[in-house]
Formats: sequence, C-alpha cells, structure tokens
Amino acid sequence: MKSFGTWAASRRNLLQGASMATLGAIFPIESVLAQGTPAAAPKSPKLLEMDGKAKLSVLGDKPLVAETQAELLDDDVTPTDKLFVRNNGQVPDVTGDPKAWKFKIDGEVDKPIEISLGELMTKYPAVTLKLMLECGGNGRSFFTPEARGNQWTNGGAGCPEWTGVRLADVLKDAGVKPSATYTGHYGADPTLAGETDKPSISRGMKIAKALDPHTLIAFKLNGKDIPLIHGGPVRLIVPGWAGSLSTKWLKRIWIRDKEHDGPGMGGFSYRTPKKPIVPGSKGDDKDMAILESMPVRSIVTFPADGTRLAAGARKLELRGHAWAGDNDIKTVEISTDYGVTWKAADVKPPANKFAWQRFTASVDLPSAGYYEVWAKATDTKGVTQPFTAANWNPQGYGANPINRIRVLVEA
Amino acid sequence: MQLTITHVVVISLTATFLLLAADKAGGLRKDQYVWTPPATQAPITAAADPDKGKPPPHNDKVEDLPDGKGRETTFYTCTACHGVALIKAQGLTRDLWDSTIDLMLEKHRMPPVKPDDRAEILDYLAEQFPPRRRGRGSDNPFLK
Repeated sequence: MKSFGTWAASRRNLLQGASMATLGAIFPIESVLAQGTPAAAPKSPKLLEMDGKAKLSVLGDKPLVAETQAELLDDDVTPTDKLFVRNNGQVPDVTGDPKAWKFKIDGEVDKPIEISLGELMTKYPAVTLKLMLECGGNGRSFFTPEARGNQWTNGGAGCPEWTGVRLADVLKDAGVKPSATYTGHYGADPTLAGETDKPSISRGMKIAKALDPHTLIAFKLNGKDIPLIHGGPVRLIVPGWAGSLSTKWLKRIWIRDKEHDGPGMGGFSYRTPKKPIVPGSKGDDKDMAILESMPVRSIVTFPADGTRLAAGARKLELRGHAWAGDNDIKTVEISTDYGVTWKAADVKPPANKFAWQRFTASVDLPSAGYYEVWAKATDTKGVTQPFTAANWNPQGYGANPINRIRVLVEA
Repeated sequence: MQLTITHVVVISLTATFLLLAADKAGGLRKDQYVWTPPATQAPITAAADPDKGKPPPHNDKVEDLPDGKGRETTFYTCTACHGVALIKAQGLTRDLWDSTIDLMLEKHRMPPVKPDDRAEILDYLAEQFPPRRRGRGSDNPFLK
C-alpha cells in the first residue's frame, strides 16, 4: 500500500533541499505490515473523504472523529486540512452572518456580557499564535487492555495558527468576582440524540487557565475563518490542556464558584488515577484527579512508519515534533536498539509558548534489516515518556509511551 | 497525393483535439465524473444550506455488527447516537462494557433501558468485543 503521507513528506524534503544522504536513503515504497505492531491502529484504517480535509484516519463516523497520521503532521504549522476532527455531539447548523454569532459570559462576574463575533473583533485586540490542540484521549490505543472510547494513536493533535482575542481581556471587562474559581463551557452542538436544549459536553477549567494570555476566543484558523467542522465561527482555544475545553461553536462561558459539573466532568471523564487502578477493572472514581496539562509526547513525522530504505542506506535523517502541555521540551532522545542506547536529537525552541517543538536527528543504521526507531521526549520539569502506556484508567487518558516507528533497510 | 510531414502533423493534431473533446464531454470514459460549469448548477449560498461544511451523513446496518444473540437490540440501542465503528474499535472487559452503559445513562442522555435489554446488550458486547490486545495488561493476575 502506498502511503500518501510518505510521498508528501518525501516531496517536501526534496523541495526543502534536504541532504542528499536522506534523498538517497529513503524510498518509501509500501507500508510494512504486522511484525510486532507497536502502534495499535487498525492495519487498514478507513480514510476520511470530506471537502477541505485530507485523508485522515477515521476513528468513528457518527459522530465524526478522525485523527492525523503521524507522517501528515510533518508541517511546522499544521494546515487546516490536516487538523484532527473530534466531535462529541452533532455539528450544529450555522447559517446567516457569522459576525452576528453571539455568545455570553455570565455567572460570577460583575457585568454579564453578551457579545457578537463582530463586536468582539472590533472591541478587543487580536492575537495570532501557534497553539497546540490535543484531544484529551490522545494515545488511548496504547493502553493494554483497551480503555473505553475512541482509539487514538498520537494523531489527536496538531499545532495550527489561531487568531482570536484573549479570553482574559473579555473577562476583565466582565469583572471576575473574587468568588470565581472555575469556568463551564457550552457550545451549540446538539447532543448525539439530536437534542438542542442539552449540552453534548460541557467542561470547565480553573479560572487561572482562563486568564492565561494564551487562552483565546478564536475566530481564525491559519488566517481564514474557522471551518464549521473545526468549531467556526467562534470557539475557545485552551492550549496544552485537553481539547474538550476548547469548546467549538461557543455559546456560553459560565463563571462558577466551584468546580464545573457538566457532562465530561467527574467520574472517569478527563480524569487520571491518583491511586493506580488494576488495568481492565472498573476502578473507583473517587480516586481520580482532573487531567489538566497534557503529558509530554513526541512523534516522528518523517520518515513514515513502515518506510523501506534503499539497500546500502546506513544513515537515517529523521524529524518530528514534541510537546508537553503547560511545559516546554528539554530533550528528545532517539534509540534504534530498543532503548539500549540513546542519542540526543536537536530540539528547536517553540514558535511561542504552547507551540510544539521540532526535533531532528541523524541516526546510524549499521546494517540491512529491520529497525525500530524510538523517540522519547523529556519536558522542562524533567518528566519523560514511559516505555509503555502507564497509569491505566477506564476511559484511557494520559497514554504517552515513547513513539516507535518501523523501517526496513533492504538487503 | 503524396503524404508529406505537414499532412501527418495536421492529421495527428486533429485526431488529438477530437479525442480530447470527446474525453472532456465524457464520451470516452463513461464512468468518469464530468465537470459541469457552476452557471448551470442551482445557486447554493452558505446561508441557505445548513449542511454545508458538515460531514457526510452516516448510516450503519445491523449486519455491520457481527452476528450473535442480542445483535439487534444492541444495534438499535447504540446506533441512535453512535456509529458501529466506535463499538467495533473497542475491546473491553465485561466490567468496562457494563460501566460504559452506566456512563451513557448517567452522563450522556441515553434513554432508560429495560433490564432485560440491558442484560442482552451487555452479554452481546462482552462476548463479541472482549479485550484483544495482548501484553502485561491483558492477563492481569489481579483482574477478577
């Protein structure tokens, strides 16, 4: 099977004038199947067919959930067509003038606000940032046994460029009361059963995260109006934390005096164990803590998993991205011998806080044969990626094992 | 009449243009989509089409789930909201399937389900979609 992403990555490499060593070495011919499958994705994923979207890997069609194959995440800034899709409810009808779209901020504020997108755009300064958007369940498929929910590999993530206004600026106008401790977010998406008067999901965050200057009310994605499927005309972007906080089709931010309790809060939803749970058991939801910052993660975006290298290839020029929720990446290490030895990759600083970081490395492949290339990132707090998905929980959050791709050097 | 190089060129070009025209008109490849100029299509504005930008509608059939006792009840209960792909992608212990139904009932607006139906659905899911991944987690000695 030819991999579109591999070819695309290979072509880009050519355009960027990559080293001749890489060009000569990498001949992506077909995917290598089976062989101890480190990734848990199905072998032939269904590919998305939708206007404006790349052929992403479909995890569910009702509601539409699709992740981006690692090799399609090679761009420094994730193009809109390659951004993953996660829906919790149905996609709402958005008709008429997008600038007339209104949302409100109420609850523990001095002056509740109801504002249209048009007013928002004229009243507050716009900021443009490259910000990570990552599904809270990213990596879930690495758990053994399986955890409940969409079986993401590492593709529930992307780092596009968002334009919006700072939520903090709007909250300042509303006047956050001292009693305010938490937010609760509501979008216009009907429930999966089609109800429009009930939230499909409603999550919230500590007020400090709402006041972070990188938390945006966004209306542009990569310089264009946010497409409907990505939450346009207006959505929240809460970078570094579970994507479910980045409410699409934003209608309301309820400022609360206690932890929010909408669907998607409590129980095992977006929470990880404080006390380790026997994998596969029901567990006790009293021993759970809310997943806030996403964990440290690295992905190799070039070459693609399953790439065949030409006979005689003895060097592999690889690259990828690493990110760590609220933290930055300190190091990325690469191993081609199952973790026996590690070599430091070059890691670039992020474009801005909450953007992912590019890493590149050149590794030796001493002979023809089968190799696994492992990548392991460590964040600025010294926290690294485990060898296998750790801290199993029924709904499968926080799985961030070291990334593994397979290459074959032809004899 | 003598066949000169000019004749050959003129004939070849004419044939090529005719073939291209026939191809563009869809005459040569009947199965191919033929592009129609937008002017002849009904004008669709964003405001008039609420489905613009939405994913294509998706409908599953009962047969998309593996055969077994409880398949129909499971299908009609779950696909009110979910596609079968989500069900099939998961391999859960009986405990987890059981708590999945609780989660849907308690948090995600699932209508009440009769105890008999619930038991049938749970039996079906637990039998058809047990854990499939093998590793240290799948045969845990502490898992009842």
